[in-house]
Amino acid sequence: METNGPIGTGEASVALASAERTRARVAWSGYPAWYWLTTGAGLGALCYAALLPGWWDLAIAALTAVTLVIVTRAANRARGIRERCQRGAMTLRDQVVLGGPAALVMVAGAVASKFASWSSIVAPVLVFMVFAGTGLTMGARAARP
Amino acid sequence: MSTPHDTELATAAGDGFDHLIHAPARLRICAALDPVREIEFGALLTLLGISKSALSKHISVLAEAGYVTQRRAVRDTRQRVWLRLTDTGRSAYRGHVAALHRIVGNTRG
Repeated sequence: METNGPIGTGEASVALASAERTRARVAWSGYPAWYWLTTGAGLGALCYAALLPGWWDLAIAALTAVTLVIVTRAANRARGIRERCQRGAMTLRDQVVLGGPAALVMVAGAVASKFASWSSIVAPVLVFMVFAGTGLTMGARAARP
Repeated sequence: MSTPHDTELATAAGDGFDHLIHAPARLRICAALDPVREIEFGALLTLLGISKSALSKHISVLAEAGYVTQRRAVRDTRQRVWLRLTDTGRSAYRGHVAALHRIVGNTRG
């Protein structure tokens, strides 16, 4: 259907909302569940590695980073979307929603380990749960018609 | 039903408003293609939830206008079609979104 008539504010608002909903679906939906679980586990491993002494932290961080890149590429292949290197479908707000809580847990875990008796496995497990939970929830929400 | 005020608003949108993109399905196709490099035809079908024939028709219109290009590639022994916005298409889509923002009185577009 071609639209040749004048456009009012109502129609323009509807069109903008529709475009934004589509962008959000591209950003969040289609990821296989294993992507969120593996990436959450990888971030948990990074969090754990940061607390290790010597060169272990760097070795584990490098290995995890490479694994995460491979997992992300495989997930994008599986969902039939090739993201751009810069400025993907996720907005800054989406990225904060996804990674913010996990980052906060990482920082809180690192601080807590310095000042209190804190099991080093608690923060990585929380990071995994928060990241995977957010990804799976947002993915399921975006996939709704 | 449009009012004279609406006509004024549409005129106020100025350049950038693209009637070809404004059709609902085509606007959503462009919105899906804009933030990514490429999307496979089947994935776009799932994302938009429209019929295969409707999607093919809209893609043809966009391709004829030079807004979308198609690339065929074999993956997992099956030939798949990958779609991407051209530079012209991306610029037209962004101009259209900016015009819509101007119409609703939001200048951030």
